[in-house]
Amino acid sequence: MIFLRRQVPLLITLITGLVFAAQYYVPHPASEQMLTSVTKWLQIIGGFALVLGVSSLFHVHAMKIRRKEAGWGYSFVLYVSMLGTIAIGLWSNGKEAVDGTMTAFGWIYNFMMVPLQGTMFAILALFIASAAYRSFRARSREAAVLLIAAVIVMMGRVPLGEYLIPLSGDLSQWILNVLNASVRRAILIGVSLGTVALSIKIIFGMERSYLGGGKE
Amino acid sequence: MTFAERMLKIDRRIIFLVIGLCTLLPLLYPVGLPIKISPEVRGVYDYIESLPEGSVFLLSLDFDPASKPELHPQAISLLRHAFRKNLRVVAMTLWVSGTGMADQVVTQVAREMGKESGKDYVFLGWSPGGTAVIINMGQDLYGAFPADYNGKPTKGMPVLQGIANLRDVNYAISLGAGNPGVEAWYVFGKDKYKFELGGGCTGVMAPGLYPLLRSGQINGLIGGLRGAAEYETLIGQKGKAIAGMDAQSATHLAIIVLVIICNLFYFSMRRQATQQSRSGA
Repeated sequence: MIFLRRQVPLLITLITGLVFAAQYYVPHPASEQMLTSVTKWLQIIGGFALVLGVSSLFHVHAMKIRRKEAGWGYSFVLYVSMLGTIAIGLWSNGKEAVDGTMTAFGWIYNFMMVPLQGTMFAILALFIASAAYRSFRARSREAAVLLIAAVIVMMGRVPLGEYLIPLSGDLSQWILNVLNASVRRAILIGVSLGTVALSIKIIFGMERSYLGGGKE
Repeated sequence: MTFAERMLKIDRRIIFLVIGLCTLLPLLYPVGLPIKISPEVRGVYDYIESLPEGSVFLLSLDFDPASKPELHPQAISLLRHAFRKNLRVVAMTLWVSGTGMADQVVTQVAREMGKESGKDYVFLGWSPGGTAVIINMGQDLYGAFPADYNGKPTKGMPVLQGIANLRDVNYAISLGAGNPGVEAWYVFGKDKYKFELGGGCTGVMAPGLYPLLRSGQINGLIGGLRGAAEYETLIGQKGKAIAGMDAQSATHLAIIVLVIICNLFYFSMRRQATQQSRSGA
């Protein structure tokens, strides 16, 4: 059993990792055909992952409701909403509208999901303003630099700011294009090198946490 | 408790009220300040403008309703521009929760511009697999989307004539609110299949995409509501983005004033504390 649970997945990872890293550099039709087939598998696996995710969510919240854990009422609401949406979605054949007429599924999407998600995001503006007032203080030189840069970018990104301080637009562009882009690029290169190192460790079986059960 | 201390601990509902009023009043009484066009937004506009009639324009609406206020106006402006230029529009989404919204915006603009589904444009909908869908489309478009969102087979559709995969796309734009989004379209799409790519994103995400812009990995970037307002100005059709710019101006200014006030009180408190410790010593 340990062979099936450990060695086989490690072998599959090693072979597929090496083959598909090499595939990128081989434009032969056979190599391209192989990539076409495998991306179809990926889509099918993606579909299964969605089913797995939904069933896992069902399981976690069913346990919370059964054990009457703290906040189990929210889990109940989630359960009812999810089951209701799935049932109505199946009934409406997954369509929000048929021949221009809104279905029940479309009604849920347009009048529940869209305003709820919009509200959640809109509330952020209020909390950002409150948090900025309470914590955006020039406590050190670094914080002062950050504060000044933030004020310039905020002014430069809106017409009123550019109207009041005409230079703020160009200054904001310079901060974004030069300072921000160079720092972001350095971070990106670091992250990418880390990703390459982690991929090599996974391909050669040095990193096995994705198999579950912790390190051996 | 001193006045400065009291002001620093002000009830947050007052701040909420200030922000609420700064949003509401400009929407009710718009000022309409002029909007300056940035080079990154002009990059997208100029490229679409340079495309000949019948070119293939792929628009991936990779966002959900949470980002609707910023990305919906961008989608409307881009679609209006593409339809006006008589480009063949291929729309899709990589975000399952945004499928209905993407369908609505594409259908609404197409109807407004007198365009026909299957002939002038197609909405492919969503397909599982996340970034794998981009590779799949790069290899075989019909394998990734055998049917469009309405269930019509994609093979043989007049709008897709001569298109086998992403290599046949003249220009692609991802309007992304996260992952998969603009970066994924570059890494898994443009880099291998060599089509020109532009991006649109929320205001929060824009600074993170500037390295891609500066290196030419994307040829233009529409950032947030401001970017959408700039695009509306460029195509000469005022929409929700331009209407929202006054509100955004007012809220930005309100936050700046709040931060300055908070720092003034903070420094006055710090000076008081220093003076007290000196007199105590």
